[in-house]
Amino acid sequence: MKSTWPIILLGLVAPVLAAEDAARQDGLAWLTKMADASRRLNYSGTFVYQHADRIETSRIVHFVNPAGGEFEKLETLDGPAREVIRTNDQVTCYLPDAKSVIIEKRSARRFPAQLPEQMSGVADNYVVSVTGMDRVAGYDCQVVVLEPKDKLRYGHQFCAEARSGLPLRARTLSEKSQPLESFAFTELKIGGNFSRDQVRSRYAAKSRDWKVDHSALVLRDVPADTGWTLTRQPAGFKKLTELKRSIAGRAVMVSHIVYSDGLAAVSVFIEPLPKPSPAQSLSHQGAVNIYVRPVADHMVTVVGETPAATVMQIANSLEFRGGRGR
Amino acid sequence: MDKISQWMDGELSGHETQNQITRVKQDAELHRSWGLFHLIGDVMRGERALSQDFEQRVAVRLAREPAVLAPRHRVASRFTTYALSAAASLSAVALVGWLAFFNNPLVPQPGIAQAPATPPPAAVPSEQLASVPSDGKMNEYLIAHQEFSPSTEIQGLAPYIRGVSSTRQVEGR
Repeated sequence: MKSTWPIILLGLVAPVLAAEDAARQDGLAWLTKMADASRRLNYSGTFVYQHADRIETSRIVHFVNPAGGEFEKLETLDGPAREVIRTNDQVTCYLPDAKSVIIEKRSARRFPAQLPEQMSGVADNYVVSVTGMDRVAGYDCQVVVLEPKDKLRYGHQFCAEARSGLPLRARTLSEKSQPLESFAFTELKIGGNFSRDQVRSRYAAKSRDWKVDHSALVLRDVPADTGWTLTRQPAGFKKLTELKRSIAGRAVMVSHIVYSDGLAAVSVFIEPLPKPSPAQSLSHQGAVNIYVRPVADHMVTVVGETPAATVMQIANSLEFRGGRGR
Repeated sequence: MDKISQWMDGELSGHETQNQITRVKQDAELHRSWGLFHLIGDVMRGERALSQDFEQRVAVRLAREPAVLAPRHRVASRFTTYALSAAASLSAVALVGWLAFFNNPLVPQPGIAQAPATPPPAAVPSEQLASVPSDGKMNEYLIAHQEFSPSTEIQGLAPYIRGVSSTRQVEGR
């Protein structure tokens, strides 16, 4: 009789484990589908960005031309006019009230090239599940939930359009499951033909007289050993990249190190200490926490869509171990 | 050749694009360049794995026939132009950056808990430092960070709103 117990238990537990694994695989497949859809589909719509007690409405247009070029335009509809334009790997921010333009040369998009590695990071650090259906902007969508396995990261909830997988809503949840930030379409058209004009900046001509900060365009992305390292790297975070770059408005080269757990990323920026020396400060923008801290004769700025404690742990365990990078 | 890169960047009108398609179809050399440009793009974005002996083969071919890479020279010259114009504007950027530091320093904000004069020990409880809403001074860092965030891969450009988000407080709140 005794010997049958393990078999009975196994019979009870195995389907549960198999179901959990299936749910995780299903969730990861949806994440992949979301990344793929937002990259390959033509779409245009209005979305709201909600953080703290504020709501901002923006218009977004994305299209891929037959030659393989990817174009995207984000335009704020409330408050000061802002535009962000992507042309393949270049992102240009137009800030008309400041009469300035910031040009960022994006590094290669990691999806889908590094997808398997990122997905394994997601599976290690989050409990992924596909929970049910919802409706956003008139479309049926699949809810995908990522529950953090520890307090070093936030929870996420996506709703992906049922057929195409386009993410229609993305929420970031605090340790107490309170929404910190949410992106959601209120109106959306998927598919259709677009012209280049729809993704051109309305400030393209006007901005010729503006201050253009395109230093990041050329000096970006020089892979480098910056000489800085973490003594206590938060669990689950891996170093994604390390480089020397310029930052808009900064005259000096800045060391930039990025850590990621597959879904959330934390950037560390290290530069010579400006005068007057900044005080230690902690601020936030939606789900992103920003911590500034002087370390010896350097200013360290850590930015990440993680809890403040994670951002601070990274900043506080940063150490210069010497080398060429300084 | 320049037309092809303009086409890939989506800079051409519908009519010009049609012309380019016709040209590439007819001209074997252009067709090869077209393929090569895309291959270069794919490899630079890390989307295409190179064969294991790729470096060795390139080295061998380079040694044998130095002229093989000649068609890329014009591409390179475009980058040089960028680099030169950027270098020229760098001094301007330096000045702007310098002014920005002095006119708009990261001064302690009223209301932020003052930091101790010495760097804190490694484990500082976050409670000691109250988090304040970002006032827009960190936008350049937010934008620089965003390009590396996997959220950009899943949601596209939308999360960039964080870096250009309105810095003004909503009135009447």
